[in-house]
Amino acid sequence: MSRRSLARFVALAAILSMFGTSAAFTPAQAADQVIKIGVDLPVSGADASDGIPTQNGVTLAVEEANTHAPKGFKFEVDALDDAVGGVHNPQQGATNIRSLAADPAVMGVVGPFNSNVAAAEIPVSNESGLPLISPSNTNPTLTKTAKYRTAHPDVITYFRVCATDDVQGKAGAEFAKTLGLKKVYVIDDNETYGLGLANVFEKDFKEMGGSVLGHDHITANQQDFKALLTKVASTHPDAVYYGGTTSTGGGLVRQQMASAGMDPTKVKYVGGDGISDEEFIKVASDAANNSYYTVAAPNAAKSASAQSFIKAYKAKFHSDIGAYSANGYVAAQVIIAAAEKTIKQNGGKAPARAQVLKNIQNTSGFKSIIGTFGFDKNGDTTSPVIALWTIKDGKQDFVHQINVSAK
Amino acid sequence: MELFIQQVINGLSLGGIYALIALGYTMVYGIIELINFAHGDVYTLGSFFSIAIIGLLDASGRLHGVPLLLVLAVALAGSMILCGIVGVLLERLAYRRLRNAPRLAPLITAIGASFILENIMQLWRGPSPIPFPSVVPNVTWHFGGVNLSSNEVLVVVMALFLMAVLQIFIYNTRLGKAMRATAQDRDAAQLMGININMTIALTFFIGSALAGVGGFVSGIYYGSTWFYNGFEAGLKAFTAAVLGGIGNVAGAMLGGFVIGMVESLTAGFISDQWATVAVFLLLVLVLIFRPSGLLGEVLPDKV
Amino acid sequence: MLHWKKYRPIDWALVAIAVFMPFLPLVDHNGGHINVLVNAGIYMMLAIGLNIVVGFAGLLDLGYAAFFAIGSYTYAMVASPQFGLHFSFWPMVLISAFVAAIFGVILGAPTLRLRGDYLAIVTLGFGEIVPQTFLNLAKYTGGPNGISAIDQPKLFGYHFGLNPLPYYYLVLVLIAFSLIVANNLRTSRLGRAWMAIREDEIAAAHMGINTTTAKLAAFSLGASFSGLSGVVNASLLTLVSPDQFKFNVSITVLSMLVLGGMGSLPGVVVGSALLSILNFFILPQASNLAATVGLHIDFTSYRFMLYGIILVAVMLFKPEGLWGSEQRRAELKESDITKAENAEYEEMPRETV
Repeated sequence: MSRRSLARFVALAAILSMFGTSAAFTPAQAADQVIKIGVDLPVSGADASDGIPTQNGVTLAVEEANTHAPKGFKFEVDALDDAVGGVHNPQQGATNIRSLAADPAVMGVVGPFNSNVAAAEIPVSNESGLPLISPSNTNPTLTKTAKYRTAHPDVITYFRVCATDDVQGKAGAEFAKTLGLKKVYVIDDNETYGLGLANVFEKDFKEMGGSVLGHDHITANQQDFKALLTKVASTHPDAVYYGGTTSTGGGLVRQQMASAGMDPTKVKYVGGDGISDEEFIKVASDAANNSYYTVAAPNAAKSASAQSFIKAYKAKFHSDIGAYSANGYVAAQVIIAAAEKTIKQNGGKAPARAQVLKNIQNTSGFKSIIGTFGFDKNGDTTSPVIALWTIKDGKQDFVHQINVSAK
Repeated sequence: MELFIQQVINGLSLGGIYALIALGYTMVYGIIELINFAHGDVYTLGSFFSIAIIGLLDASGRLHGVPLLLVLAVALAGSMILCGIVGVLLERLAYRRLRNAPRLAPLITAIGASFILENIMQLWRGPSPIPFPSVVPNVTWHFGGVNLSSNEVLVVVMALFLMAVLQIFIYNTRLGKAMRATAQDRDAAQLMGININMTIALTFFIGSALAGVGGFVSGIYYGSTWFYNGFEAGLKAFTAAVLGGIGNVAGAMLGGFVIGMVESLTAGFISDQWATVAVFLLLVLVLIFRPSGLLGEVLPDKV
Repeated sequence: MLHWKKYRPIDWALVAIAVFMPFLPLVDHNGGHINVLVNAGIYMMLAIGLNIVVGFAGLLDLGYAAFFAIGSYTYAMVASPQFGLHFSFWPMVLISAFVAAIFGVILGAPTLRLRGDYLAIVTLGFGEIVPQTFLNLAKYTGGPNGISAIDQPKLFGYHFGLNPLPYYYLVLVLIAFSLIVANNLRTSRLGRAWMAIREDEIAAAHMGINTTTAKLAAFSLGASFSGLSGVVNASLLTLVSPDQFKFNVSITVLSMLVLGGMGSLPGVVVGSALLSILNFFILPQASNLAATVGLHIDFTSYRFMLYGIILVAVMLFKPEGLWGSEQRRAELKESDITKAENAEYEEMPRETV
């Protein structure tokens, strides 16, 4: 065989191996029947700091469930990554949900993390009847409109355990008022999450009598924001509101404010949960202080029932919990509880996905480390909590939290 | 008006960085007609090297006066030398073999090399922005409503100074003459006893070292960097080189400043989200209507 | 023209795989796998289209994803609640291809007189401008959210829905169709004109070939294929958003071509199949495998490192690709002719360093 045809042979062998790999997915038959909890989060690259702590929460919930699983059953995690090249990717997400839906052992999926990924996954979930519970998607349209439920507009398969941006943006606006801010300049990263949050903030802040000096969209992943910030400085704001994530520019915008003529000790910086990561403090360095942000999840450290979770998390993963670890943990618990209930209803027989879905839909009064909640008719949590945080001396510092369900 | 002047200052300092990168593009293109696509990543590497060296020498983080200047000098020199070496290696490993191949071949390897460098940086320091140690005090002067900071002055002065040095080198030294001869006619230059491979390697070294300066200066100016910086910065710097007339050192400088201004003024007076579009639109328009650039001569088409 | 002697067992094996593909879903019922194969098929169609521009005509297009975006958005705008329009899928396949082709001409017309590497940069610039413009014109394109709830095709009363299986067959048919069209183009008058231009544009012009028309034709025909893939992509995903059409898509498709062999149709098929396998099967599996032994290395985030290595290594050591055409191989190898040509070129007066 010449070198040339050898190369061709290798190419062919690789193509053939594709069929090999696709056949190699059949799970090994265990004594206990396996019930899988799917996970779809971005766990690689820049987004790994979002996805991994959340996925760890799921892992913990499944491990705990196995200590008292129904007889003859075992829970397992089937985790897929929706990041491509280190950034969450809607196409990959939809493909992952399709793969998980094809496995009848998967009873529900915890994920996705990002709203634009959810937009591509909800249609697949809706069509296949695979329940999705997002720990962190905050974009309101995902649940409140039927536009993503293309196959069965009135069937809810997508749920979330966090508050939405309309309440988060509003809480941010109220927060800004209590901080005594009057004139705010709004900047967003022109992505689904950031733009949505910034729009809600702008609308609500104006309604509360605040003035919004301007609203600009940045081009994500750039280095130079000085020209924009010079323009912002010329309007003399009390604060800049940033809708977006640290990775798209949230840290750099804060850090470059000083060189554009805004003293970070005087001009405050307000944002959403997109800047709630440690990365923000690293990138903004000294300027990170005097920043404030909202998180669409309660501060687990403040809840007595969460203490054992925090301890177990630290023991297992050797790190502190992330902003959405508790949400990931609770989302998995909801699926597990629904599966266990179904097994009971079936008299100890294996649950079917449609039954589990029904039980998830009917979740109410569910006691968890993030509070007692159920799902409303859209799949949103009935007990959304917004926590407010600040950064002081280069450290994240909890301010207080509010339950916004009454409003 | 004050706002306009302020934005012009922003544009000039941004342009100074583009200009430093553009010098490398223009030198390499001038001598071997290759768009060294990986050049933008060499610039980012410059920031990475500087961060590493400063971190190594100034672990305590609090230096002043002469020791601080010494550390900065070592970081700058180190960044230049290391970037220069990377440039020479690129030429030796990825481009030299293809010197006589159709022009698309080395361009494709250049794109490949760019991806490899980006990923090496990602492996090295991770995918998130990396803070540049804020060791240089940034002094701000106020002129009426206009602010001018020492960092802004540093970028522009550095760019102008290095352009002048380069100009003198190219036109007044033997090596510079050899470079010009090689650019004009490689075979004839060889017949005249010029070591072609050495000369081309030298061109890569100087161009990449200048990108190293760019990386150092931009690190101080922005206070951070990340592995993917070089892609857009490189593209914009290439636009600058083309705008000024590729192969022309003064043109690259002029192009850099013009591109920096276009970007700043678009962001400042239209919207930040259109700034990148404006620059690339300018690139497309220049290439279509005046491919020879502002200061370049009209080139004949490819034979 | 078939020369049976030319085909070796290895070629026949490729044919056997192609024949097997339609029966694959009978063996593999996993919707996830079929979905992956549909994605791979969409990339293969893109590669077939880009091959016309880069492989046949020798014009390096680094902004090919822009046409993919244009095709996707064209369908999304007229078959979704965005404007309340619900045009039928099938005519839109052709119309989107046509729209992408028109944009190919619009971009191509003023730029084609540029030299090869300048053209590459202009197309790159275009590739950056298009998704950014779709992002910024939020009123029409939904901005960062993109356009969602895009319609699925119907065929004789059968609604495709979101089940990947019918898309799998649709993509297979479209690939077969694309290959036939591309092959006919290659052997046509136009195809020979492209080849002549690729080898020596000035000589081609002297032989009476209208080089501008031929290059424009390459650009617009190449673009039309990506318009086609765009429609399929948009309807299966039900969502188009600007972040799906970044530079990395253009580079992925280019890497497929370079790996398989620019200008060779079997090369394009093999190259795109190989990279898709790597992307969708091997890299994710490798990360999982590493995770089971406690290593958290994410192989997928280094996929562009691999693309980079492929681009460099193939151009240096096997410029005709794994499955390249003999002709291209001859062209790309350093030859006395190209040396002479280069020498001649160097004589041209120009601005020095």
